[in-house]
Amino acid sequence: MGHERLWWRVAWRNLWRNRLRTLITASGLAFGYLGAVLVVGVSDGMMVELIENGTRLMLGEVQVHSEDYLPERNMHHTIGGYEGTDLEIFINRITSQEEVSAAAPRVYGGGLLSSGEETQAALLMGVDPDREPRVTTLLSRLVSGRTLVAGANEILVGDEMAEQLGAVLGDEIVVVAPSSDGSLGNDLFTLVGILDTGIPAIDQNYTLLALPDLQFLMAMGPPRIHEVVITVGNAKDSPRIAGALREFLSDSELPVQVSSWTDLRPELAEMVSLMDASHFIIVIVIFGMAAFGVANTMLIGTFERRREFAVMRALGTAPIGIGRTVVYEGIVLGLISLIAGALITWPILVWWHNSPIDLTTVISGFSVAGAQWRPVLRVEYSVQAPIVAALGLFLTSILAAMYPAWKATRVPPADALAD
Amino acid sequence: MKTAVRTTNLWKIYPQEPDPVEAVQGISTEIETGDFVAMAGPSGSGKTTMLNMIGGLTRPSRGQIWIGDREITEMSDKDLAQLRLERIGFVFQSYNLLPVLTALENAEFTLLLSGIPKDERRKKVLELFNKIGLSGLEDRKPGKLSGGQQQRVAVARAVVANPALILADEPTANLDSKASADLLDVMERLNQDHGTTFLFSTHDPRVMERSRRLITLVDGQIESDERRNHLSVSP
Repeated sequence: MGHERLWWRVAWRNLWRNRLRTLITASGLAFGYLGAVLVVGVSDGMMVELIENGTRLMLGEVQVHSEDYLPERNMHHTIGGYEGTDLEIFINRITSQEEVSAAAPRVYGGGLLSSGEETQAALLMGVDPDREPRVTTLLSRLVSGRTLVAGANEILVGDEMAEQLGAVLGDEIVVVAPSSDGSLGNDLFTLVGILDTGIPAIDQNYTLLALPDLQFLMAMGPPRIHEVVITVGNAKDSPRIAGALREFLSDSELPVQVSSWTDLRPELAEMVSLMDASHFIIVIVIFGMAAFGVANTMLIGTFERRREFAVMRALGTAPIGIGRTVVYEGIVLGLISLIAGALITWPILVWWHNSPIDLTTVISGFSVAGAQWRPVLRVEYSVQAPIVAALGLFLTSILAAMYPAWKATRVPPADALAD
Repeated sequence: MKTAVRTTNLWKIYPQEPDPVEAVQGISTEIETGDFVAMAGPSGSGKTTMLNMIGGLTRPSRGQIWIGDREITEMSDKDLAQLRLERIGFVFQSYNLLPVLTALENAEFTLLLSGIPKDERRKKVLELFNKIGLSGLEDRKPGKLSGGQQQRVAVARAVVANPALILADEPTANLDSKASADLLDVMERLNQDHGTTFLFSTHDPRVMERSRRLITLVDGQIESDERRNHLSVSP
């Protein structure tokens, strides 16, 4: 329609009547866009870092247990019961799922560690030294020594445990643990490595043995395991993948429970949800501030053009036509700002994603909800956040134009012409 | 002769402390179609208020206004806008061209609002520009035109859609005598050629002299209403 083109033309040219003001307003919106995308990106980076550190270190993203193993962690409740299961077939069955990257078996027990005169209670964790590094980073946290060799009666302890025991690499450590047959198993293990995960609860309490060595100590046959730890492509997809795996394994004879990290570490999941929700609030605050800036600028512009609006009314423009020119200015301003925002945001986003900012010289790491957070500011980006931010910016500029547009329609023509 | 404008007992009272201002006090008058009428009077006599009420830009406190056969005082803002678009053209003292549009775009503004196709719009405006001495200035923005040129563009904008009534508020106030004479020539020619009714508010003796009817207002009332019998377009 002829009118529409006229209103767009008037809106476009009006924007450029005061270039500096338009450029400042557009810059405000563009930097608002940058801020919103970066805040979400940094927050996403922290979330991914938390999830990765919370899952990749030891938890894994999905775990499979006997259906009655959790929460008591009774040593007798192994997958497949007392008979156990064919480990290779079971693991292969799990890894046959498309979204499962790797899986590793584990056995758990509790016991006492003695070295010289010192004795400490410990959580014993039997891992497959070959498979475990594919699902967690625990074995990579060795600060001295080497990893385990299965069948060699070797042991890894956390640095704080080693300190409490007064043990050093090469020392012999006596491990005493209740066995599944009711007896008390004990054996001599050589300390071959010391771990430092940065999480005191692990470094003080956990002791790693090779899976067959712990099974032997606890009088459990090779088919008996307590847990299969699974890693998947994207930790955020874990609940969905766990659901699919649960359905897939429900066909088997083994009554198992499949849990995602969100089930196993609800406090971490809640923290992630909280951060996710805080994005929304931060973005609303950023665009809210931008909206007031735009509305203020457009109100000033509207006030300056009262006489022009009155002339347009006198010439036969309906009030809605006047309002449209102002809203169209908002839309054009939004588009300009969006283009400028995208042009400044994307290079920064990609650069930051590829070169996370290392703050280790300024602050040390800390643990949040049981997950270690490294002081590295990384940015994660998805297609979703910039699109949502773009829509936010666009809506902001339109909503910010609404009140000035309404005011413009209310300009009394005779009074404005007399001004 | 048909009536272009009729007002009956028209009042405009501005609420103001301590006493309301009675800008127009019960004016009843008729203006015939095709007439060339000047409304004169000192500042504050109610000339501009009368024009604004007749043009539907402000509502009377009391009384009625007919434009042709339509009573406008109860019309909605939207209907008034449509009525102005179809029947009324405005010429203002300070030209009031839209600064972001070129001379041609300003002149074709009402045609555009009426949905006239581009070719037809351009043809009409260019013919009119040619007639009133604006050829070659089509692409200039108002800031690049002289006062006289701007006022001629404003007149072109007012008359291009052939409205029945042109309301001109002090159209020559900011022009020198030559530009004023030229503008009056243009308006008289349009009045004669198209039968367009002109109603001016003015202080300018040159406008009064060339009007066919002179209504003089004082303190919001008609002091005199005289018909004049000459009409002279400058050679």
